[in-house]
Amino acid sequence: MTTPTHDHPTPPGGPDPGGSGGSTGRDMDEPPKGGSFLGYLLRKLGGALTSMILVVVLGFFAFRMLPGDPVLKIAKERPMSPAQIAELRSQYGLDKPVIVQFWDYLVGIFTGELGESYVYRKPVSDLIVDYLGPTLLLTATAAILAIGLGLWLGQLSAWRRNSLFDKMASSTSLVFWSVPTFWLGLILLMIFGGTLQWLPTGGMITPGLDPWSFAGIIDVIKHLILPVITMVAVVYAQYLMVMRASLIEEMSEDYLTTARAKGLTEDEVRKKHAVPNALLPTITVVFMHIGGLITGAVTVEAVFSWPGLGKLTFEAISGPDLPLLQGTFVVFSAIIIVMNLAADIVYRWLDPRVRRA
Amino acid sequence: MFRHRMLRRTMAKGLAGLAAMALVSTMAAAPAQAATEETQDPTVMRIATDGFIDSFNPFTSFYLMPTNTFKYMYENLVANSPETGEVIEGLATEWNTEEGGKVWTYKIRPDMKWSDGEPLTSEDVAWTYNQMMEKDELSVANGALIENFATVEAPDDSTLVITLKEPQANNPGQEIPVVPKHIWSKIDKPGEFKNKENTVGSGPFQLESYEANKSVTLKSNPNFWRGEPTLDKIQYRYYTNSDAQVQAIRSGEVDFITGLTPEQFKALESADNVETSVGNGRRFSGISINSGLADADGEEFGTGHEALQDKKVRQAIRAGIDIDTLREQVMQDYAEPATSFVPSVYEKWALPEDDPVITGFDVERAKKLLDDAGWKEGSDGIREKDGEKLSLRFLSDADATIEQNTAKFLKPWMKDIGIELKNEASDVDTVSERTTKGDYDMYYSGWSLSPDPDYQLFINTCGSRPDAEGNGGTSQDGYCNKKFDKLYQQQHVELDEDKRADLVHQALALHYEDTASITLWYQNQLEAFRSDRFTGFTKQPTDDGIIANQVGYWGYTSVEPVSAENASGEGGMGAGGWVAIAAAAIVVIGGGGFLISRRKKSDDRE
Repeated sequence: MTTPTHDHPTPPGGPDPGGSGGSTGRDMDEPPKGGSFLGYLLRKLGGALTSMILVVVLGFFAFRMLPGDPVLKIAKERPMSPAQIAELRSQYGLDKPVIVQFWDYLVGIFTGELGESYVYRKPVSDLIVDYLGPTLLLTATAAILAIGLGLWLGQLSAWRRNSLFDKMASSTSLVFWSVPTFWLGLILLMIFGGTLQWLPTGGMITPGLDPWSFAGIIDVIKHLILPVITMVAVVYAQYLMVMRASLIEEMSEDYLTTARAKGLTEDEVRKKHAVPNALLPTITVVFMHIGGLITGAVTVEAVFSWPGLGKLTFEAISGPDLPLLQGTFVVFSAIIIVMNLAADIVYRWLDPRVRRA
Repeated sequence: MFRHRMLRRTMAKGLAGLAAMALVSTMAAAPAQAATEETQDPTVMRIATDGFIDSFNPFTSFYLMPTNTFKYMYENLVANSPETGEVIEGLATEWNTEEGGKVWTYKIRPDMKWSDGEPLTSEDVAWTYNQMMEKDELSVANGALIENFATVEAPDDSTLVITLKEPQANNPGQEIPVVPKHIWSKIDKPGEFKNKENTVGSGPFQLESYEANKSVTLKSNPNFWRGEPTLDKIQYRYYTNSDAQVQAIRSGEVDFITGLTPEQFKALESADNVETSVGNGRRFSGISINSGLADADGEEFGTGHEALQDKKVRQAIRAGIDIDTLREQVMQDYAEPATSFVPSVYEKWALPEDDPVITGFDVERAKKLLDDAGWKEGSDGIREKDGEKLSLRFLSDADATIEQNTAKFLKPWMKDIGIELKNEASDVDTVSERTTKGDYDMYYSGWSLSPDPDYQLFINTCGSRPDAEGNGGTSQDGYCNKKFDKLYQQQHVELDEDKRADLVHQALALHYEDTASITLWYQNQLEAFRSDRFTGFTKQPTDDGIIANQVGYWGYTSVEPVSAENASGEGGMGAGGWVAIAAAAIVVIGGGGFLISRRKKSDDRE
């Protein structure tokens, strides 16, 4: 069975933010020229690069504009002599002029060195690599579940638009979406951790267990359940809503009548014709949200003591550990920029001639 | 066709059911699983923590978590007693002073061993101190403690001689971790050494392993001179937020937690197998007043209200605050009444409550003081002088409940005596920056004190005042009074403890009268432990003191596992209600599933 996707021409005003004359002037049924795709790609890359440069510059200056001197804050209420404070300042490189510090930082970034953390006294890049794994495990699990759940419920809701199921599913998801992540996490922690004692109250693995042993893997899964449920509950609504909206739009299409006329069941019409078409805009949104999901991990990691990048950022802020803050800021921003770029490319690559308006 | 659909629906439902069953059974299996592994080990005590750790290098790390660990890892030259915090024997069994406290000679206990079995002698102590004196990078953590050291020598294995630059009464052998020379002298860059596993030391426990943001495991030291502790291991486990820590002790995943809020503490009081402890802490909290800031050379800075330079106005503010009510309401009584900035746990040094200088809450006196100072009530009830209103700014941390609640009480109380108080709440970094620059009238502040008051007195002397950039020194409130400085210097060198205590009291009384700050209370440290697993915690001070954050290694060293018969380990009381809720949730979810399948049918009928 062929999907009817390819029978639809590109409408103008699709999410081609370049808005260049090339695409609007072109015959809609004409396949895109190779050159224009390359141009599109270059424009997008250029945009991403510009954002990245801004992030790098901002990452340095924004945190230096924060009130308070990091050394004085570290030394606060500790019996420290002026000599000790001066020694710290020079260890952290804060005795150099700001412009020199900025230059060191720039050189560092281009050589892959993000400086040394004040608190951990370790290269920031090493720290980020250490903490990236747990964050990826958590967010990837949550992302897959949230996307799966959201899309599945979304298409069911759309198909039975305004039914009781639709109303329940949509409103439940929106309630979870509006609930503060921190609060939801703590409530789950209290019920399933403290009171029922079914699941661990924090961390990623019981200390002393080998994560690669069978017991270790089971242990990690148990530690994963609550944070993943929290993350999924809070974000799946956006996938549900996008899927629902784009499927509803799809449902008035003529090709569905054709499909029904061929004698297909409602399930088949939905699954084989409507949903694949509705998935297109949804995939773009999914990609755009993956970056946000990783940053959303900050709160969840803080609640469940998950030893990931979010927790690292949380600690860097309380420091304030300037190099670590800069590092996590640049890395988080880079993830979002790359994901947005990927979303743009995937969108264009999947189908340049989206749906009829 | 119809049959086919039926089959698929049945399969789908069956799969969903299987998945649900799998989930439930995993969850149900969880407690059994969690109870195995090390949790079951009766001699491993698990403590919840969220402390920063940069390294376990005692020369460089000054964060609370590592420094607390050093106290268990390294015996000091002299220790501080669990009863009162007074100086008692440590590595040294006895000591004497010459030249009025300029030369300190210690006798080191013979036949002591490091945890690896190597002999521990005075040479180790001398080497440690000399490293700190010679190398800037090794004085990062404790430089202030050796600033007054001129030379340190070990004429023989059991003798150590410290010669100071200036005489001092405070025993110089306190609070400096002594490391084994045979290990540390072989390290290339000792300032960068992390010291994070299998450490060698002299204290009751040694660091076995450390996994960043996961756990810190300490192992008992068989060579500890007071005898090997009963506990086999202490394991710190990381919990980022304190609410999660509370849940962890309820579920039995950790055995000890500290730093609870009154709400958390009350919630745990009714928990099964959990015993709570209110400890008199070594921290004071108070209101710091900008009485006119200047750096050590007298260069003035800051935007403090001129009225506050008048002692009478500051005294009036104190008289206008009902501190007892504030303590009951804001601290929910989890704080001890205070006099001055030396907490009452240090009985010898703290300003006695019956000292004649101490005044209570007295609105009439406050008003009279303000009248005397020339501040007359204006038409709106706010006092004025030369056309200027008596309107003061109170800086507070917007996230700190205690500070915000304090401000709420202060505002109307100040209004009563004719002072307008504006609470300027902001983030903690802004507060810190503004207080450094002197851009405040009052703010909420506090310090934790060591058993000896010398340092805290020192940071109230004129010479300790920093400049507007925070460079130069450290000052509690920017206080400066030559008479106080003189008393500081006298107590600093007074070797007779009773005479010294008297001088300290005089200094504190003077500070109280000058009212550079108003000490509100000494906050309690709220703690809890699993009484079904462990017993025998030592408090400092003994009767109603603290367990964590002690000066010394007493808290956990004496802990013993509760015998197996008494340890039921089963909580779960009151869980019935939660089970019902969970069941209800399952019904709701299940209902959703039913609805899905029901709707499917009607769709098919269309």
